[in-house]
Amino acid sequence: MEDGKRTWHIATILGIASVPLIIMYLFLVIDTVTDTTAGSPIPDRFTFEHWRFLWQRIDGRQSIWLVTMNTFIFAASTTVLVLAISSTAAYALSRLNMPFRRFFLAGILVLHGFPTITLIIAIFLILNMIGLYNTLIGVILVKAALELPLGIWIMKGFYDSVPWEIEMAGIQDGASRFMVWRVLVLPQVAPGILALGVFSFLAGWSEYILPQVLAPNANVQVLSVYLAGLIADDLNPDFNLFKSVGLFYMVPVVIFYLFFQKHLMNIYGGGTKG
Amino acid sequence: MTQQTKLGLGFMGPAIVIVVLLFLAPVLLTGFFSFTNMSTATGISGGTYRITESVLNRLPADQVRPDVIVSLSESQFVVDEAGLEAMRAEGLDPAFIEELAERHGAEVFTSGDDLEDAMKDLDNRPRSIRVIKGAVDMFERSLRDRDFAEEAAFTAALDDAVVDLTDNERVVIVQAAYSGWTMTTSNFSRLWSTPQTGQVIINTLFYVGMTLLLFNVGFALVLAITTTFLPAGQSAFFRAIWFLPRISPSVLYVLLWKWLAWDTGFINAVLGQFGMAGRNWMLDTTANAWVFVILINGFVGASMGMIIFTSAIRAIPKPLFYAAQVDGASRWQQVRFIILPQLVWPLLFVSTYQTLSLLTSFEYILLSTEGGPGSTTEVWSLSAYQTALSNYAGNLQYGYGATMALVLVAIGVAASLLFLRLFNFKHLVSRPRIEQ
Repeated sequence: MEDGKRTWHIATILGIASVPLIIMYLFLVIDTVTDTTAGSPIPDRFTFEHWRFLWQRIDGRQSIWLVTMNTFIFAASTTVLVLAISSTAAYALSRLNMPFRRFFLAGILVLHGFPTITLIIAIFLILNMIGLYNTLIGVILVKAALELPLGIWIMKGFYDSVPWEIEMAGIQDGASRFMVWRVLVLPQVAPGILALGVFSFLAGWSEYILPQVLAPNANVQVLSVYLAGLIADDLNPDFNLFKSVGLFYMVPVVIFYLFFQKHLMNIYGGGTKG
Repeated sequence: MTQQTKLGLGFMGPAIVIVVLLFLAPVLLTGFFSFTNMSTATGISGGTYRITESVLNRLPADQVRPDVIVSLSESQFVVDEAGLEAMRAEGLDPAFIEELAERHGAEVFTSGDDLEDAMKDLDNRPRSIRVIKGAVDMFERSLRDRDFAEEAAFTAALDDAVVDLTDNERVVIVQAAYSGWTMTTSNFSRLWSTPQTGQVIINTLFYVGMTLLLFNVGFALVLAITTTFLPAGQSAFFRAIWFLPRISPSVLYVLLWKWLAWDTGFINAVLGQFGMAGRNWMLDTTANAWVFVILINGFVGASMGMIIFTSAIRAIPKPLFYAAQVDGASRWQQVRFIILPQLVWPLLFVSTYQTLSLLTSFEYILLSTEGGPGSTTEVWSLSAYQTALSNYAGNLQYGYGATMALVLVAIGVAASLLFLRLFNFKHLVSRPRIEQ
């Protein structure tokens, strides 16, 4: 809403409020390739020493590549599960006459608004009882289950906007409802699948509490747990090292975000974080 | 069943199964677990019956006679038929067995040495001391530190060890000896009567209220309104900056705040240039800890409101603003009379949604102050998590933690039912148009 009046004072006030963020994210990048003399705020020499975690293990921890692999498996499997299950379930809810349809829809809506983190204690006990504690499979299933209501809700929105005429035409030509869905409707909701897929992947990639509680074992550790452990155990914190690991961890997020910004904004706008 | 119904249920099937098992079941089981005394000590998958030192200490003195406790605590040697039978089975001298039964039958010895001496005095004693010691062991009747998987086996052994056990004593002892979890309502009375509960509630209200007012709604509104008056490039810049915390993994985001605030952190390095002594800004005082808890959560929370408010403002027809400017309305008047009236529903949505979100999430506090210093920034959700899943003492109280979580689950269910009312549900469930 540019109205020709001066705006420098608004920009100044916002700029001052943003100083902590600007400093934090600027130094997140700078500190990974520089060293700073103790007691000085300004870095004074270049080094790649802080990226040593890429080729050697830190304090007898797991190799970063195994941890990255776990994180990828966790995020990718969650994404596949969420996509597969919500793209079918949402279609059923959006387009198919079936018993209990209203009930299912109300259920999905209620679960969609429900704060899932409150279930962590019960989930921990359940996984212990059924023997999936400390396994990637367990934490993947849980993450996918908790993401599903959101996923189904989003996909239902995309299905709802597909014109009925497309399906009518398919039915007229003698195709079954399944064929109509697979061949005619699914391509129509490709943008939704892309958006939900990217969102689920990033949500899995960034998840901390679930793997920390449900799969803390070193062999199935993911990057968030690895980084948190690195920070927690250190009495004399090596922030340059932490930030290098952190930047390594965040790079895929930034790349995804730059490429899929428009898709993601729709979902992030709904809000999943405090 | 029509083709369509079959396909529909088939398509819903996987979703129903996984949601019921890992979403609905936890909701219901949180309620169930809150009525148990499950903890690290009781284990999760059930326990065994076992008399230990601590079980004996726990037995109530007014319900169990002292001599029963003594006979449970000490190994006793009872010359009974079972022991004699064992001796026969071992193939020991029948005369020795006969004599033992005759002279000491049903006698109780308090130590193995006494029984050994008694055996040595017998006329038909075996010559080997080793055989006698072996025979003594056959009469040892003790429950101490023996595991019983089944209640029936334990009760039988109990009756063997203490001959004149009353029914009430048996019940009390079986209950005390069980190492697994049991059903109880004590979690609720404990939650109600613990003084700490009140403090945690006050902390929670303060945390949710301040974060919501100052950032998630307050500053979000400031961001959304001010950026609409800025040139496009500048407003995009500020929105991107304030969106960074939301896309950052939580562990990394909180790490950056720690780098800013800790003893060796950036603030101290800057202040050190002016000769000020270093301190841990995040944890040195309660006030500072609260400032950082609210900043850390608020900087993330502000972006959601910012997005929603911005899109609501963009939806306002432009001519409204032009008309206002022609009429000489100041910026403040445009905000007051054009923008704010359009934001009533978004404000309501963001407030309710973020209240619920702040109430239940503890990730950022856990990663930053962990509820410290002391437990001054301990909020309800964090307290439940630490009680049940992670604390320094190592005694995890699953049952009590579930009770605390149950309160949040109940609030969550109520709130999400409210959201369902706010949506236009009838419109969302309009009937499918292809009939087969």
